[in-house]
Amino acid sequence: MQLAIFWIFAFFMVFFGALVVLLRNPVSSAMSLVLSFLFLAGLFMTLDAFFIGIIQVLVYAGAVMVLFLFIIMLLDLKSEKQRKLKVGAWLGGGAVLAGFVYTILHVVGRMPGAEQAMPVLPGGVGSDVARIGWVLFERYNMPLQVVGVLLLVATVGVVILSRKELK
Amino acid sequence: MNPILLETILVCVGFLLLLAEAFAGGVRKSVFGYGAMVGVFGVFVLTFWIDAAAMNSEAAYSVYYSADDLAVFFKRFVLLATFCVLLMAVEFAPVLQKYLPSSAGGAGLGEFYCLPLFACAGMMWLVSATDFIMIFVSLELVTVSFYVMVAYMRKNALSLEAGVKYLILGALSTGVLVYGIAWIFGILGTTNLVGISQAVAVLPPEKSVGVLFGLGLVLISLGFKVAAVPFQFWVPDVYQGAPTPVTAYLSVASKAVGFVVLMRVMDAFFVAPYYGDRLLSTVAFLAGMTMLLGNLAAIPQTNFKRLLAYSSVAHAGYLLMALASVASGGAGYAIAFYLVVYLIMTMLAFAVTIVVSKSLGGDNISDFNGLSKRNPWLALAMAIGVLSLAGLPFTAGFFGKFFVFVSALDAGLYWLVGIGAFSVACGFYYYLKVLRAMYWLPLSIGESENTRCSISLPLGALLVVLVVLTLALGVFPSPVFALMP
Repeated sequence: MQLAIFWIFAFFMVFFGALVVLLRNPVSSAMSLVLSFLFLAGLFMTLDAFFIGIIQVLVYAGAVMVLFLFIIMLLDLKSEKQRKLKVGAWLGGGAVLAGFVYTILHVVGRMPGAEQAMPVLPGGVGSDVARIGWVLFERYNMPLQVVGVLLLVATVGVVILSRKELK
Repeated sequence: MNPILLETILVCVGFLLLLAEAFAGGVRKSVFGYGAMVGVFGVFVLTFWIDAAAMNSEAAYSVYYSADDLAVFFKRFVLLATFCVLLMAVEFAPVLQKYLPSSAGGAGLGEFYCLPLFACAGMMWLVSATDFIMIFVSLELVTVSFYVMVAYMRKNALSLEAGVKYLILGALSTGVLVYGIAWIFGILGTTNLVGISQAVAVLPPEKSVGVLFGLGLVLISLGFKVAAVPFQFWVPDVYQGAPTPVTAYLSVASKAVGFVVLMRVMDAFFVAPYYGDRLLSTVAFLAGMTMLLGNLAAIPQTNFKRLLAYSSVAHAGYLLMALASVASGGAGYAIAFYLVVYLIMTMLAFAVTIVVSKSLGGDNISDFNGLSKRNPWLALAMAIGVLSLAGLPFTAGFFGKFFVFVSALDAGLYWLVGIGAFSVACGFYYYLKVLRAMYWLPLSIGESENTRCSISLPLGALLVVLVVLTLALGVFPSPVFALMP
């Protein structure tokens, strides 16, 4: 049962992921990305990672993608639809994709552990959220601080690059 | 002093300058540039007072952060590079101002002086990082700062194009890096480099192929950062479009920390010959391609910044050649020395470019025509810079290449040395093109010899120091070795 759910979610996730690239209308691409994120959230749920699954829906599928849609509508991107297909680009991209997929299949095929079920992880005390909080602020405190600086730089950058008239 | 405070202090200086910039109206913006330089220099002085023993080995951060000799050496390297870049940025301000959407004088310049501080802190964290998580977050801090700085001249189409290209290819390489780390973590169960080297030593051989795949992806992503062929496509456009001080920063500091991370990651996998042999042959292959393509593609360039971009690809090739010979022992020194020399001569070339492009408004090689008649001393500085980049004896660049080639010969990589020798010969051709423009070609029509480029005092001092260092290290390279890890 769980295996069937995995395959369904995984298939649709990859399917809509491919549509993001293949569809020419930016709005449809963004909507496909939302669907891809939703199925990814489903995969997290099957791994018992409920908190990450919900965050995936709330933050990525919800907030970030709605923002994306707003931007696309504000920019009014229509020219994208009429773009011609280039044979060379298709062939090159296809070759890279084929090589990558072949490598992954080759690697997975040669790994004996890939078919075995992973051992069940030991459960901890307390809720998901509390435990993630502990790990994030204790064990991963230093990388978290660096991410804080990163967000500051990103904020400054957005203001600099998007303000109509700098003062 | 606990070494972990260095980055903290630098970030705090950045915060203070950002706040001061927001609230202090009417102050000349160059004040913030000089303030940032004082902060960077202060932290540089503090690096001589740190004590690695002061780090609490029980604390959570000790897993992510190491203050070994390699890290401290490159922290100083990055700080010096940032100092030079800030000095150039102050000089470059009038050009930058022209392309900023503002009517008020000096608007938007303050942030341009603060962003290098955060990028510098990111690079200092990066050279200390001993865990893939830390490598990832600090690498992102550095790259995000660079996205902003590259696209800073918003009203210049070239700068915007450079920003977009760098953003897209940078995001792609980040994705590849994360995917690679995920493979390594999935099989070994750890992201820590020390833990990884323990885990690969006892890993059953049938599982190694997955780790190798992950390692390959990490190598690709770091190849993007150091501009190795075939991951160099972003380099020419980004280097040409970015504001010149940012180009210098990108080509020196960003490349150097890329190599430090590469060394640390490779070091963790060398315990198992299964990875060691494959890594070395891959890096040797990349080095050969990078040297060839970098040097050959530089030959037809007419824009000086674009030429330096390909030359930067070529230099990445020589450094990769040293990295491929890491088994011979002396390679670490060769890489560190080459990077120091590269810092000096690249900064020299870019500093002269800033002076020329500021007064003539362009950075094509033809803008250097007849520079020797206009500013003989400036032309001499540039001549020393490009000759050193080419690797002429009695300049620092010669010893940089010499040590790299010796270390490759020790490791028995004769075919690679052959390619390297051919590339150096190509290098002489295109570097001498600049020399020819400055000394043999006449001034462009309509320009008189009296339109001299004016050099400000701080930049002039920087030029003198860089020229002296280039010549001094060309005859007497041992002082650098005394500072080395």
